[in-house]
Amino acid sequence: MSDFYKFLSLILFGITIVFSQVKLDVSTIPKRVDIYLDGVNLGRSPISNERIKPGLHKFEIKKKGFAPLTYDLLVNPAQAIKLDFFLNPIYKIKFKTEEKGLVFELNGEHRWDVSFIRLDLEAGDHFLRVFKIGEIIDEQTIRVDEPKRFNYYLKKPLTSR
Amino acid sequence: MNQEPTYLVLNHFDKDIPEAEKLLVQNFNDSKFEFNTSLENIFSDLDSHDNPASSHMAKIKELGKQYKVNFILLNKIEHKEDRFILDGLLFNTRSGGLIHRRKINLKQYLDGQLNELIMWVGNTLNRQEDEWQKNRETILFMDPEGITYDKTPMGAAIRSLIAPGWGQAYSNKKVSSGVWAGVEASLSLALILSYLNYDKSAKSFLNNTKMYHTTDDEKLVSQYRSSAEKDWNDHIIYSRLAIALASATGTGWVSNSIHAWVFGPRPYTNIYQEWETSPKSKKG
Repeated sequence: MSDFYKFLSLILFGITIVFSQVKLDVSTIPKRVDIYLDGVNLGRSPISNERIKPGLHKFEIKKKGFAPLTYDLLVNPAQAIKLDFFLNPIYKIKFKTEEKGLVFELNGEHRWDVSFIRLDLEAGDHFLRVFKIGEIIDEQTIRVDEPKRFNYYLKKPLTSR
Repeated sequence: MNQEPTYLVLNHFDKDIPEAEKLLVQNFNDSKFEFNTSLENIFSDLDSHDNPASSHMAKIKELGKQYKVNFILLNKIEHKEDRFILDGLLFNTRSGGLIHRRKINLKQYLDGQLNELIMWVGNTLNRQEDEWQKNRETILFMDPEGITYDKTPMGAAIRSLIAPGWGQAYSNKKVSSGVWAGVEASLSLALILSYLNYDKSAKSFLNNTKMYHTTDDEKLVSQYRSSAEKDWNDHIIYSRLAIALASATGTGWVSNSIHAWVFGPRPYTNIYQEWETSPKSKKG
């Protein structure tokens, strides 16, 4: 009889464990992205019917050609949680100028003074600052929306005015 | 009796998003929504509870009775730098429990937040429309491997290989197109003329040689001999010229194709200095 109670306790414990977990679905754009939950690879997206314990978790989403994403999530008890991650592509960018003596700075991080440079940039807006003889001469936001070349000029040609 | 589910929608947006409520009503006109902004702070401490669903169960049930709704939909939108985070929670007012939660974490997608809100609400109602998916795709940045262009450098190179200058014209470079087409046409014409002259000289040489052997007249012999010698020299000159021109034409043809590829159509953006004067004068 005591074996029966032990067995019943185990079953109840198992049921409690299973039902205290939250159903997890993860979708990403693009698809077939590696999903890591607390350092463990869950597989490739889309992921459905995965179980997750309530608490703080760290998601890492990685795919070649896209900016990796790390996301801390506090999972509260619920029937289900669905996560949507959109990864931002990284585009190959060329930046060229024929102007002399300019120093460029992108997003306050990367600086260069050569006339031609290749960059791998995350899609979206980037902040460009231009220096000449130590002084800022220009600031503007450039939008990276496809792999392309940027040509920087100090003056617009007369025909395009 | 209305069988459609009814919702109390609580929007907690850290920035004003005009049109949000209007768009929800427009897109889900078969569902009944109640909006209430006075309840803004009721669920602000949600994540601080160990079990947010049970901690608010009584309140959810009470709101359900008060507003006569089946569900409470809580949409929290936060903007962190260039990230947009939508946290959607769906509560059942009968049980008071949290039945569905969806988090969307997007970078530089601020134009798409209304569409995502609609998609999330549609998800809770088991409704997804192609238009919303298309809207999402038009706003998202494209996968670099999925980007296709109408005109490519390879397209220009192939065209120039078929007809010199065509690739440059395809790339809208009319001057270089004309130059390549003109140079290659001139070289080809010169090659053809050289070959025709070579052929003419060779035939004339054979003819004069034959005539030279068939006559005994000293005057004619001398004439045929000098003509044959001239034809021989001409045939050598035109032969060498034809070979040189054929090489130049072939090299030029390939170079023209390479040129079309190198200077082929590639996306670019010209950016111009925005500050017209010194920073001090710009800042006023």
